[in-house]
Amino acid sequence: MIYADKSTRIVVLGATGNQGSFHLERMQQYARTVGGAGVVAGVTPGKGGQVVSDVNVYDSVREAVLEQDAQVGVMFVPSRIAKDSIMEGADAGLDLVVAITEGIPVHDVMKAVAFAKAHDCAVIGPNCPGLISPGVISLGIMPTHLTMPGKVGVISRSGTLTYAVVDALTQNNIGQSTVVGIGGDQVIGQTFVDVINRFAEDENTQAVVLLGEVGGNLEEEGAHFAKEVELPLIAFIAGVSAPPDKRMGHAGAIVFGGEGDAQSKINRLVAQGVPVASEIADIPRMVQEVV
Amino acid sequence: MKLLEDEAKEIFRAYGIHVAKSIVLDKWNDESFALIQKEVGDLVVVKALVSVGGRGKAGGVLLPEATPAGIQEACEQLLGSEIKGVPVEKVLVEERLSILHECYVSITIDRLKKSPIILFADDGGVDIEELARDQPAAVRRAHVYPLCETVPEYITRYIVNQKSLQEISQDVTVDATMVAEIKRTVNILYQIFVERDCTLVEINPLVLTHHGVYAVDAKIILDDNALYRQDIACNRDLSTLEQEAEKYGFSFVELDGQIGVIGNGAGLTMATLDLIHRHGGGFGIRPANFLDVGGGADQDRVSRALQMLEQLPNLKVIVINLLGGITRCDEVAKGILAADLSRPIMIRLAGTNEEEGKAILHDRGYGMYQKMEDAIVAAVLHVQQEEKNREGCT
Repeated sequence: MIYADKSTRIVVLGATGNQGSFHLERMQQYARTVGGAGVVAGVTPGKGGQVVSDVNVYDSVREAVLEQDAQVGVMFVPSRIAKDSIMEGADAGLDLVVAITEGIPVHDVMKAVAFAKAHDCAVIGPNCPGLISPGVISLGIMPTHLTMPGKVGVISRSGTLTYAVVDALTQNNIGQSTVVGIGGDQVIGQTFVDVINRFAEDENTQAVVLLGEVGGNLEEEGAHFAKEVELPLIAFIAGVSAPPDKRMGHAGAIVFGGEGDAQSKINRLVAQGVPVASEIADIPRMVQEVV
Repeated sequence: MKLLEDEAKEIFRAYGIHVAKSIVLDKWNDESFALIQKEVGDLVVVKALVSVGGRGKAGGVLLPEATPAGIQEACEQLLGSEIKGVPVEKVLVEERLSILHECYVSITIDRLKKSPIILFADDGGVDIEELARDQPAAVRRAHVYPLCETVPEYITRYIVNQKSLQEISQDVTVDATMVAEIKRTVNILYQIFVERDCTLVEINPLVLTHHGVYAVDAKIILDDNALYRQDIACNRDLSTLEQEAEKYGFSFVELDGQIGVIGNGAGLTMATLDLIHRHGGGFGIRPANFLDVGGGADQDRVSRALQMLEQLPNLKVIVINLLGGITRCDEVAKGILAADLSRPIMIRLAGTNEEEGKAILHDRGYGMYQKMEDAIVAAVLHVQQEEKNREGCT
């Protein structure tokens, strides 16, 4: 498990909204099932004093940290105020903000991530499903019933693709240590390298499945780093059929000026010695071969 | 969203970057020449206003004789023509500057460094990707820390190097004033990049003349996530169907194949498209679209998405591939029935209330596939069969 454990105290940023209150409840349920500390506070400016699923809501993250000793934020606020929310969380001393919100302007993301880094706060996302360590903690919106505890890490730029792969792993009796959705945007906080770095230090993780897609070259960077830290890697790249210069749902999934198209990405990964699955269904078998 | 050259230059002008005098024409009439003479002069460049790369090479930029007939001919030649398949609806008639030297400058986003990056080349006007590949040292790069409001002086000093510029541009004296003006242009360009929520601003070429520094071309791409705060109501890079999809909050891309696709989540939807290519590509069978219906899709959204797909011109069959914790299969099933489809549909659903969904569909004669691979293979076979039947008829 990486980033958080059973004792991690969660604050939900944007706790009173539709998404926020729904997922607060689900994270809390999971915490009860596994016996974790769970969600200790919610934050919505102007709604301090309310209660959501037995959790106190505060006006500011600072109050949530002071009153409830919150350590990690999971953010559901609307995209227009997301930059402020991430900066507030970092300034209040959170170690990690998991940014679920999608559609945040990229300039806001760059500023918020730089600010958080300067305050020693890691950002996962934005535009991501968060992370889950099966049997330990859920920080986000991943469907917990598909997962099972085990020794394989999963890192992905896409939500449902992650679910499909986790489902396939579980069906083949391959458990997961931690599943991290790093987000589909052009600029994201924690990249493959950062997460692989954490997995490398996690005794419980024996191999990592890297789920990438068209756009950028974060996957290659991650693969290079995994080799350095000697962590076995299996990759899958979505978007082999993506036409150039079209945005395939994710803001970051655009093949621009010939950079980051799926086939050349796959070729570069293969050149680094990384096994690349051509279909999701092949992934469990390939994982079994390296573990 | 890409801006056209005249729109980008309007922004440049408003911020104080020098651009040549120009007017935009959408048709030639009796007053056009007088207007051009008054606003621009006789010696002009006529450029097709289309947002395609390599416009000059594709014949979209003309240098007519300085006569009424010459300019008219150039305008009429471009208006109504096509540049790389894009129809030319407007032309930019612009003053022809006497260029002493051309540079290159752009600002974009470096995903690895999570920050803006400025690219500058002493020698511009060329294909910058080619230059960056063949002579990497010829392109100077500098990252700007995202929390900097302006470009720090040490960066502009590095980017704009008086000595190397003077060595390359021998027709012009690169004095302190000229250097200051180039630096000023870089600073303004960064201000535009940040304030206007750009993912790319590019001046190629940035030209040195006896009268100062001018942006002869202008390229701006806006961040689609930030259009709301740039007062842009609709993204016109999208087709009519794509704009309709945006209204419903779907991510939709129109493609030209036969198999319509609905998925939830960008990655899974993309993987669905990839599998269609894998199984059908060899037979010329391709996806007709990309449609990510989003999380927690209800009956209404599902039937709307399906009805949109039915408008695709080459559609033969639909694949719906939904997976997840918050997607309720009974809602999806009701949406499929409500859409009242005229085309066959291959269904793969997994999630909450799966059994209820299956029962609803089963009652109306729809089957379901356990694996996405199977649904896709069935769709490919269907297209093949339909094409075979049609051949049989003729």
